Amino acid sequence: MKHAAILTPLLLLPLMLNDFWLTQVATRALILGVMALSLSFLATYLGVVSFAQATLAGVAGYTIAYFGPNTVGVGTELTFWLTVPLALVLATLSGAIVGLIARRSRGIYAIMITLAIGVAFFYFTRQNYTFFNGWTGFSGVRAPMIGDMSLRDPLPLYLLSLAIAVIALVLVNSFVRSPLGLAIQAVRDAPGRVLALGISVTTPIVAAFAFSGFLAGTGGILNAWYQERVSSFSVGLGSIIDLLIIAVIGGLRHPSGAFVGAVVFVLLDTFAVDLIDRERFNTLIGAVLLLIVIAAPNGLQQLVTDWGTRLRPTPPQPAPKTTN
Amino acid sequence: MPVSAANTTVNALEAQGIGKRFGGFWAVQDITLSVRPGERRAILGPNGAGKTSLFNVLTGDLSASTGSITLFGKEVTREPINKRIRRGLRRTYQHAHLFNGLTVQETLFLAVAGVRGGWGQIMPVRKADARMFEAERLAHVAGVADVLSREVSELSHGQRRQLEIGIALAENPKILLLDEPAAGLSPAERPKLSALLMSLPKDVTVVLIEHDMDIALQTSESVSVLYNGRMLAEGAPDEIMRNEQVHEVYIGGAHGH
Repeated sequence: MKHAAILTPLLLLPLMLNDFWLTQVATRALILGVMALSLSFLATYLGVVSFAQATLAGVAGYTIAYFGPNTVGVGTELTFWLTVPLALVLATLSGAIVGLIARRSRGIYAIMITLAIGVAFFYFTRQNYTFFNGWTGFSGVRAPMIGDMSLRDPLPLYLLSLAIAVIALVLVNSFVRSPLGLAIQAVRDAPGRVLALGISVTTPIVAAFAFSGFLAGTGGILNAWYQERVSSFSVGLGSIIDLLIIAVIGGLRHPSGAFVGAVVFVLLDTFAVDLIDRERFNTLIGAVLLLIVIAAPNGLQQLVTDWGTRLRPTPPQPAPKTTN
Repeated sequence: MPVSAANTTVNALEAQGIGKRFGGFWAVQDITLSVRPGERRAILGPNGAGKTSLFNVLTGDLSASTGSITLFGKEVTREPINKRIRRGLRRTYQHAHLFNGLTVQETLFLAVAGVRGGWGQIMPVRKADARMFEAERLAHVAGVADVLSREVSELSHGQRRQLEIGIALAENPKILLLDEPAAGLSPAERPKLSALLMSLPKDVTVVLIEHDMDIALQTSESVSVLYNGRMLAEGAPDEIMRNEQVHEVYIGGAHGH
């Protein structure tokens, strides 16, 4: 019921929006949401804030660009039936490697390590021309054609992004109820205690990062098709911070907050130019972030949930059970 | 010699010359301890005597600086705790560090899966999973069945202690190391804990750190007394009660004589 109430309007959205709104706002929010979901998944269930998620998305994006059609003449073109799985595998593996490197760190130290990985990858893409084509990167990246229709067209790309977003949320929700998902949460709550259950501490951490790499990679593929380009800017500090802002706006308590945060972020990003100068965007998003962090420390998603509970009439209290 | 006869002579836990050093400080020094299978042993000692440090070394939470440890005749001194768990060793912790975001049932499920295996599975746990039923059974044994689907963060202190014991009982432990299981319990909760300890299968070896003399003497057949990181005395409860030295450092001190 609840799910239908959310999904139906989203499916009807294309009938109500023009192409600009559908692509620039709705589709973009869904894609950024999937990428930010990889961050909020880690933050919620492993308790680690990772700054390497734009990097993991970038790994998938660069794979799509290098092995797909592009206009810079770098790479080998393969069919997308191969490039898409390859991009996901590489993003997942990269996630696992980041997890292995960061496995002993928590809190600020995990942030520093993942940030270092992200920044290192950014400079690497700028300087390497063989695989990454330097700072210009790849342009003319084309989404696959299905018959005469390009997946980049507004409606197909929106529906694809919506489907991926829904699948990603379902995957997260089922994964966290699996034995490994429970072990990941156990590591979050009391890492020292997990080993005493006979459970390794490293495996859940690496698995959580690998899964987050898979999610980020999914978003990265969609983003490459949507932007029709991948460059060092896609994995730069700007993108890293955007994902963090989205996740924090939405709230790190629940993964679906990533999508709430993405909608707010995209609306601000798209319409800020109408309000203030382009170069003042950072001031605006900073002020909004500050407001949200002060007014709703657990994010907008939590705020909405809280309002929902407050507005709902309280059910009559059941009579206390008699104990025998 | 027949195998069964040989087995009866193998101790459940054997510690030889155990020492644990933190920098220049020896928390425990030259501890030798033999516990028979099925024995109920209490470890007494004033605060700072090194009881918990000894436990940490015996379980593998900390590595021993000196000495060797064998479990059922197998040398385990260099084994990490997750390996020793598979040999039937379990422990509870003095300060319950539990998984606050998980439910009681999920916590016990992980305790079962940690020993039985399959904790790395990535498909959601099914309702009919045998390990879930086992988790439920453990909750009944430990007395936390009424809060089975409650989050651990919502449990009372007493319930957390009971859950600790439920975790330790997962998958037929052979030797249980209980670190002050009654600490912080209300007078009403203590008899329940005693009853739970008394109801453990007779073949389970129990080593118990306990400040509550009633629980310690009621549930144990032998007592080791630690003082300043060294073994002060060992013997049956009544011998220990009569021991002058023990009176001086522990029993006398604790009662303020």
